[in-house]
Amino acid sequence: MKKIYYIGIVAIAALVGFTTIQTQDNCDKKAITTACKKKMEPFKYDSQKFTKINFTKKAQQLEVEVPVFIGEKYRIVFNTSGLPKPVSINIYTKDKEAKKREAIFTNKEVKAGETILVFDAPRARKMYIDYDVPADSTASPTQKLSGCVAFMVGYK
Amino acid sequence: MLLNRKSLALKGTMLIATSMLFVACGSETPKEESTEVVAVDSTVVEEEVETTSYSLPSPLQIASIFKKSGLKYKDGITSSQKDAAKYTTNLAKALNLGVYSADLSYTVLNKQNQEAMNCMKLCRQLADNLGMGSVFDQGNLSARFEKNLGNEDSLAYIIAELQMVTDMYLDENNQQQITSIVFAGAWVESLYIGSKVYEKSKGKDLNSKLSEQMTILGSIISALKAEEKKDANITGLIADMESIKAIYDSLDSVKKYNEAANEDADVTLSDEEVTKLTTKIEEVRTKIING
Repeated sequence: MKKIYYIGIVAIAALVGFTTIQTQDNCDKKAITTACKKKMEPFKYDSQKFTKINFTKKAQQLEVEVPVFIGEKYRIVFNTSGLPKPVSINIYTKDKEAKKREAIFTNKEVKAGETILVFDAPRARKMYIDYDVPADSTASPTQKLSGCVAFMVGYK
Repeated sequence: MLLNRKSLALKGTMLIATSMLFVACGSETPKEESTEVVAVDSTVVEEEVETTSYSLPSPLQIASIFKKSGLKYKDGITSSQKDAAKYTTNLAKALNLGVYSADLSYTVLNKQNQEAMNCMKLCRQLADNLGMGSVFDQGNLSARFEKNLGNEDSLAYIIAELQMVTDMYLDENNQQQITSIVFAGAWVESLYIGSKVYEKSKGKDLNSKLSEQMTILGSIISALKAEEKKDANITGLIADMESIKAIYDSLDSVKKYNEAANEDADVTLSDEEVTKLTTKIEEVRTKIING
């Protein structure tokens, strides 16, 4: 009887531990926000968007629509420190359904390990921020990599 | 012997339990590498990922754009409802938090200290009623606001900071739908203020800024639709926003602009068209303010 009692305690402890591990998130939103804010000066904070990314066996394209106003000056600060592996970031003025579009920003040239990216936007009506998430061949039905990417928008 | 065995079993249990909790709690310390491996229950069907999401601007930016276009202060056009307790549903609370936020930005940028203070109090009251009043206490925002009354730049900076902590709070609590609803309320109020001031001033810049605001209406509607699954109560709000868009799209100047397909050009509405649009905005705004 006592044995069952102890096994029960161990099982509960294991469950609590496992659940916490399962839901842990390395996306430290406060730290990410603080780092973005530092690079925002002299622009004024306008908005911020966190995107949760799960690396799966299939490549994904996630898009965030950002409406902006002609004649205003904008800065976008990305923070990729919450990502376990690189994601391609591109900004367009047309959405992903458009037949022809050219990126006005890309992180292709960014040095490895650089996690804060600053972009001062040109005149536009809308911006579409695309995250091209590569396929992860190691992803399995029981385990997959996960993280987050964020950007902050500021205006002058 | 029995006692020793019991003691050993208990120690073992405690050791395992402590180890488990230690491993779990250990994840809270900062890591050099942000690798997170998520264990997935293979019996659970994978959640469908939304591939398009939206990042809407702040009410302060809208007020700032209008201010630059020559929007002056007009007495008595901010919300006449000064009793935040009147709003009982979460939808009404969030929408009117947006209305008061727009009024707050308008009064701050026009140095209307007493009214700005009243708007701040109403925002706080509604935020409290939505369970997110704590954001006003972060970094002493409320106290700093009061202390800096009269200093437009400092107040605008404090409002931007308030927006930042609110955005983070809603994101951390998975309540992004509130962000879209609050902004919808703020946008309607900003357009109402802009159009009311335009009635008197007839400023050309203000006219084009009113039309420009309509370009983000599609994004607001899409953002609300994306959150409709979480909160079915916003269906009526979406219909109201779509009714504003329908009026705007039916205007001759807008049709001509759309045919020309020149994104860089500005749309200038005739006075008659502004009146038509204003009437619709006023109708939706009255509905929001009446809760």
